Amino acid sequence: MADRTANVTWTGSLLEGGGTIESVGSGAFGPLEVTWAARSEDESGGRTSPEELIAAAHAACFSMALSGALARAGSPPERLETSATVTFVPGTGITKVALSVRGSVPGMDEAAFLEAAETAKANCPVSKALAAVPEITLDAALV
Amino acid sequence: MPRIVREAEISWEGTTARGSGVVEALSSGAFRLPTTNASRIADPEGKTSPEELLAAAHASCFVTSLGSELARAGTPPERMHVHCTITMDEVEGAGHRVVASTIRARGVAPDADPASFAQAAEAADAGCPFSALIRASAIVTIEVELEEGDS
Repeated sequence: MADRTANVTWTGSLLEGGGTIESVGSGAFGPLEVTWAARSEDESGGRTSPEELIAAAHAACFSMALSGALARAGSPPERLETSATVTFVPGTGITKVALSVRGSVPGMDEAAFLEAAETAKANCPVSKALAAVPEITLDAALV
Repeated sequence: MPRIVREAEISWEGTTARGSGVVEALSSGAFRLPTTNASRIADPEGKTSPEELLAAAHASCFVTSLGSELARAGTPPERMHVHCTITMDEVEGAGHRVVASTIRARGVAPDADPASFAQAAEAADAGCPFSALIRASAIVTIEVELEEGDS
């Protein structure tokens, strides 16, 4: 069992106030500012948001699942580049996660890579945790 | 309502067991962080993990919902502090799963009493998009404490 923690402080109102992700258990990041404007407007103004953190979590989780699956299949990857784009509709919620991966995998053909990527998308713990998102898409290709 | 898009990227080199990645916030540029599988399931050794990023996402989502619920109730907060723990466990036959997210929320809201603060936290949990998602697959627990202000 593994616990991972984060601490956030907020001062003032939603629209005029602001928050700080002060620290996380690993010490890897913080403080990071978060504001409602950074979350709900097109321009993030250099500030992160829950949706960007979810995108980071999902991209990282998917990449680990895929690299593990490729290694088990006898074709460990040289490099995987994964992006995740999370769509948030205020008032409705998180409506979509779009995963995109480009892989350098010596000795593997495209079909096998696509299959491994679909399996990683289906089974990585963050995919399972986000199973209630209405739409999770995957675009996978070898480079 | 507008559609808001937030993007992040990871570059991973090598296998899961021995490789490593760098996860980067593309929309904001706010972070660029190393991660490994070991940092995920064992001692983090200063590196982040998907589950830690989820903890940060849930804490920052919940805090904004709590603030707006307190304001809506006419008891706007001066200050709130939210701690989130995401627990991943090995579930028999299902591999590693996020099994729980535990929120501890403290705050100073001069016009709130403990009952109305707890009620606002309950409404915040119902309204936070991340709570709504994770509740479908994991146990969400909310603990709250109304604190005395400085005045």
